[in-house]
Amino acid sequence: MIFFLLCIIGSVFLFVYSLGVGHFDCGILEAFDIIGKSLRGEELARQTKHIIWYGRTPSGLMAIAAGAILAAGGGVMQTLLRNPLADPYSMGISSGALFGVSIAVIMGISIYDSSQSYAVILNAFVFALVPMAIILMASRRGDMTPSKIILTGIAVMFVFSAFSTTLMLTTDSETLATVYSWRVGTLDGISWASLGIVSVVGVIGISFLLTQARKYNVMTAGDNSAKSMGVDPKRTTLVGMTVISLMTATVVCFTGTIGFVGLVGPHIARLFVGSESKFLIPAAAGFGGIFLLASSCVARVSGPLGLPVGVISAMVGCPLFIIILVKMRSNVWGSGV
Amino acid sequence: MEKTVGADAVWAYRKDVAKRISFITICIVSVFFVILLSGSIGTTYGFWDVYEVIYERIMGITHPTASPEWWRSHYIWNNSLPPIIISVIAGAGLAIGGTVMQSLMGNPLADPYTTGISSGASLGAVSAIVTGFTFSSISGEMGIVSSAFLGALIPAFLVIFLTRFVGNSPTTMILIGVAISYFFNSMVTYLMITTDTDKLQEAFLWQIGSVSGTGWGDIPLMLTIVVFSGIAVGLVSNKLNLMMLGDKSAKSMGLDIENFRTLCLLLLAFLVASIISYTGIIGFVGLITPHVVRFIIGGDNRFVAPASVAMGAFILVSANLISNLLMPIGDIPIGVVMSFVGAPIFLYLILRSKAGRDMF
Repeated sequence: MIFFLLCIIGSVFLFVYSLGVGHFDCGILEAFDIIGKSLRGEELARQTKHIIWYGRTPSGLMAIAAGAILAAGGGVMQTLLRNPLADPYSMGISSGALFGVSIAVIMGISIYDSSQSYAVILNAFVFALVPMAIILMASRRGDMTPSKIILTGIAVMFVFSAFSTTLMLTTDSETLATVYSWRVGTLDGISWASLGIVSVVGVIGISFLLTQARKYNVMTAGDNSAKSMGVDPKRTTLVGMTVISLMTATVVCFTGTIGFVGLVGPHIARLFVGSESKFLIPAAAGFGGIFLLASSCVARVSGPLGLPVGVISAMVGCPLFIIILVKMRSNVWGSGV
Repeated sequence: MEKTVGADAVWAYRKDVAKRISFITICIVSVFFVILLSGSIGTTYGFWDVYEVIYERIMGITHPTASPEWWRSHYIWNNSLPPIIISVIAGAGLAIGGTVMQSLMGNPLADPYTTGISSGASLGAVSAIVTGFTFSSISGEMGIVSSAFLGALIPAFLVIFLTRFVGNSPTTMILIGVAISYFFNSMVTYLMITTDTDKLQEAFLWQIGSVSGTGWGDIPLMLTIVVFSGIAVGLVSNKLNLMMLGDKSAKSMGLDIENFRTLCLLLLAFLVASIISYTGIIGFVGLITPHVVRFIIGGDNRFVAPASVAMGAFILVSANLISNLLMPIGDIPIGVVMSFVGAPIFLYLILRSKAGRDMF
């Protein structure tokens, strides 16, 4: 609980700090002044307002929201599938979304009105959910053990990746670069509207996962014990995975596939609070938020163009993770995860 | 096992063994069948031309330089045959890598690249392509290969080294491997987004992996290491079976798990590095083949290991054949072909498999 509060407090401070950081330098107080004026609707110099109010504020908040969703989703996914390698993309979400983006960018095909700017986003969202739908359909016939679910996800992922790779190979190098940069993931150009959608989905989704925490704990004891405690493991797993997929797809369609935080974030949280879902979910969410925000700060100062946040989070997070792992020397992944 | 077993059970066991051995035999026969077919596919030459050329080469018959026969001999010998042989070797090697890694880690998501080998190799190759910097200070084509090879070994050694400090459980190994591969991949991504679009494309192509454009010179090292590893894995397959029971059970059966795991990881590092430094990152075959084999013949490593070798070779050489068949449409790398054809079949196998057939 202390860890969670620390993360929250840290996030607030870091968010305030992040407003001033970047290629366009301005003091924290000045940034606040600009935000205050924007909220009151006063006139401002266009450039500063543009950078602070439309650029950094939503992008910083999005970092927190996206990090929280991905890390909480990853933590639950690892528990549900009993596999430390699981992450929110384990159901093939990233490959589905990439496929949606590829056909939109390269072939100009989209679900609805390809001339609109949201065509790519919509495509990414819908196709991100296709693998999950296939898994749900497959689970209706026969029993799905965690390893079967994982393998199904992999199989679907390979099919989608093959399509995307073919498209990316046939296109010219300029378009390839566009699609590639989408795949890397970025927090630039986040609008207030998309932030709103993601936060609402995030709050609802994470609260739902929290209400299920007791069931997840029971399930780690094994399917039979879970059944004797009145928990239907198959149902709980599928419902949990569907919620995670919806949350993740919402994030991914706006930011691209930001890696690392969803897989390693929950493991770092686990090192501090242990594997019990009741504590793990908030801890992972808090840590994911602050971690992605910190990465985006580093990314912003790393150069005039800035590096993608996915790159920075892996570069900074990997040594951090290994240091924590070596220092704690603990094995919190007993049986199962 | 020592207790008296009924005659029925013995008979059932023998039948099972016979089934497994016949599966392996079928795979090996299919590999040879596909190799025989592959020679002329995707070229303008006829089916028998290939064998004439091989016969000529073996018998030492030469043609005058630049005559049609000379061109035929040159093209088939140097362009058609090496990719076929390499796809057999690479398929076998990656499949055995996947089998061993999944048993060592007790994790169905493990594949030959789990310790981050592919990310290290990517970094080596991409840095050679993008910046011209190589880990081996050799330039040109061999610079990419040697740089990829050395790069591939770095993450594996890091994982082995770091697990000495943390305690050598499969989960910590996997997590350290994943963290390191993210780290190296992020550097690859950094290089790829900061370079110009043409070099991005070249680096992207390397990462997908392909056997086309390989020559005879690429074969000896790869073949030696794959054969050596295959024999080594065959010798320790009983111990791998123990590992799959979990660390505690393996320990109680008298297996020194820490050292055994380290040795296996070292072997895998050299095995996989020797393959992918020539071909690029070929996915799918290392992860999927062992699962397919387990679905069909069960999880006993004494049979899974050889069956994976045969099956892996079969999958990759068939993918090469299909890729050559598709040449008129476009140059589609074998990795993509495998996913297109193999993934639906794999999905079908998962959904059809009986409970308890998969080892995990």
